Amino acid sequence: MKKCILLFRSLLQRSLSPIVVGVLLLPVLSSCGSGEGSPSHARGVYLLLDTSGTYTQELKKAQQLINYMLAMLESGDTFAVARIDSGSFSEKDIVAKVVLDSRPSMANKQKREFAATIEQFVKSVQSSAYTDISGGLLQGIEFLNEADVGRKTIMIYSDLKEELPKGYVRKFDLPLDGFTVQALNVTKLRADNQNPQIYLDRVEHWKTKINTGGGTWQVVNDLDKPEAILL
Amino acid sequence: MNELINMSLLSDWRTFSITLLLGVLVLFLARSHAHSAITGFFRLIASVLRLAAKASESTREQLKARNREVLLEQGQQHVSQELEREFYEVSRFVQRDLGGYPAIQRQIHEEITRIHDDYEKSGEVITALPEWVEAVESVAKIKSSEHAANLNNKVLEQIHKSAEQQHKEQLQLARQTAADRHKRLKGMTEYWRKLTDSVDDVGGRLKDIITRSENIDRHMKKYTDITAGTDEAVRALRASSITQFLIALIVVVIALGGAYFNFHLIALPMSEMVGSTDRIGGVKVSDLAAMVIICIEVTAGIFLLESLRITKLFPMIGSMDDKFRRIIMVCAGSVLLILASTESALAFMRDQIAGDLASLRASLSGGSIEATHSPISEWIPLAANMILGFVLPLALTMIAIPLEYLLQTGRTVCGSLMEILLSGITMVFRILSSTTRQTGKLLISLYDFVIAAPLWLEAMIMKTRHNKDQDFSATQSYSSARVKS
Repeated sequence: MKKCILLFRSLLQRSLSPIVVGVLLLPVLSSCGSGEGSPSHARGVYLLLDTSGTYTQELKKAQQLINYMLAMLESGDTFAVARIDSGSFSEKDIVAKVVLDSRPSMANKQKREFAATIEQFVKSVQSSAYTDISGGLLQGIEFLNEADVGRKTIMIYSDLKEELPKGYVRKFDLPLDGFTVQALNVTKLRADNQNPQIYLDRVEHWKTKINTGGGTWQVVNDLDKPEAILL
Repeated sequence: MNELINMSLLSDWRTFSITLLLGVLVLFLARSHAHSAITGFFRLIASVLRLAAKASESTREQLKARNREVLLEQGQQHVSQELEREFYEVSRFVQRDLGGYPAIQRQIHEEITRIHDDYEKSGEVITALPEWVEAVESVAKIKSSEHAANLNNKVLEQIHKSAEQQHKEQLQLARQTAADRHKRLKGMTEYWRKLTDSVDDVGGRLKDIITRSENIDRHMKKYTDITAGTDEAVRALRASSITQFLIALIVVVIALGGAYFNFHLIALPMSEMVGSTDRIGGVKVSDLAAMVIICIEVTAGIFLLESLRITKLFPMIGSMDDKFRRIIMVCAGSVLLILASTESALAFMRDQIAGDLASLRASLSGGSIEATHSPISEWIPLAANMILGFVLPLALTMIAIPLEYLLQTGRTVCGSLMEILLSGITMVFRILSSTTRQTGKLLISLYDFVIAAPLWLEAMIMKTRHNKDQDFSATQSYSSARVKS
């Protein structure tokens, strides 16, 4: 019996002591790693889909992009797809949103449901008369800030031509500190072809607006290389 | 910039010359003090460096002595263990084989007695002399007459008949006896063979003990060398420990590779159990859980091997009562088996999750699930995963053996490396010390080079004065000589 006690003492001293230290340090590490003050490792992506005019024809490509992103996103990530219409600063314009479950099987199930929702949306979407990109951006900022994610990305799938209904005011600075804004598939309009400067000015206008807000601006037009989209 | 240069003192060559002359003059006047300062400064640095070199060398010597002690101690322990094992084997041999020697001896004695009896029996005299010889002699002495002749004939015939009959009987008896002897001699062969086998068996066993005794002699010589602390023994032990260290290191690295593979086998299914969003110190909880499982497996393996007395990382376990040792053995083995089975189940789950993910990706990319079906049977990777999940934890238990060697020899190898490092540091300090001293001399030479002109003048003046002094003393000695004369 005495030997047994001695053994356990020896075990505690020699082998279990690192484990005990580890257990004692666990709360400290935990507070370091997953506390409120610590940065989250989750990603948040808010995709704005332009549904105005002829751009609805591009939505089939957007669906492929969404599917690609669904495949890339992992457990804990947040993903939302919203439409840009006449007044986009509204939760009603969010077509689908999901916070992927921590269990891979549940996350896969959520991804399937999300993909089905998007497919349904693409089939039934009706084009809007106006394009409120700024409102959509502001909605995206609010959504991602609430989601408490580590990396925030807003994707704008649009030709970047903003057209607001009468009485709508969008003169504000976008609080985009810590955000990455990617403009995807910025198609050239007929007027752009006639005067490319219009296209360049349009892109530059948005770049300035995003950079002024503290965000990072990127343009990705070649969607055949989806790896160009930095998630 | 040019204006600045033009304005500076150096642009004016006259001012520059005066400044230079004054500087040289000052340097010349302060020459002895400057020399002392330079020499003192560099000598101070050199002596500090030399002191550091000495300290480093002294530390190296101490470390060397300590390493030697540790190496000899480890070697002594190792050889003691070897000797213990050899003595144990010899003791076992004596108990097992030589313990049965009285029985063999008795058997040999019995065999010899039997052979002796048979020999005695085979040496028996069969027949006595025929009794009718005396009758023939009596008949021969009867006087010859017709009646006697007839009588003799009849008697002789009768004797002849009796003799023939007796001869036949004797011959038969002789044959029977000879056959009996041959039979006995044939029977002796078996006993001889048994005897030879018994002797050969004893001889073979004795050969084993001779080999053991030779091993003991060799170990004893080694032990004596180690106890005496000879350089040869230290060299041999060091070479042996370095080799063992490298081999153990390679095996441990291979085992770590296995552990890494094992980790990837269970990390994904663990995320299904504990989730993969929470992190501790930037590492996913599921990854940590997988690592913890592997660590527990390795720990259980170490305890199992300890309780089996294969390794001696925890000497307390090895020296425990058999009962407690057996309890630890059973507990560790059970934990290992449970974890191995769990890993096998996790490997199964991993296959299912991976399959689900593949089908999701296929559906997202627009392809049908059927299209992703490959002609290769899905059961082969699944079975392989499950078998690996079960076998890898059990294989990882063996890490305790190379780990023990690594820890034992690591002390010696690290000590040797430290010795080399300290030797290098000592050498660097010595080089720096020497360089510092030479740099001081160089600086003094450079100083003198700067004031070469005044020095030359001084030398000339001194030479002239010396000549004058010599002339003066010569004149004086000449005058005094003349006065005396």
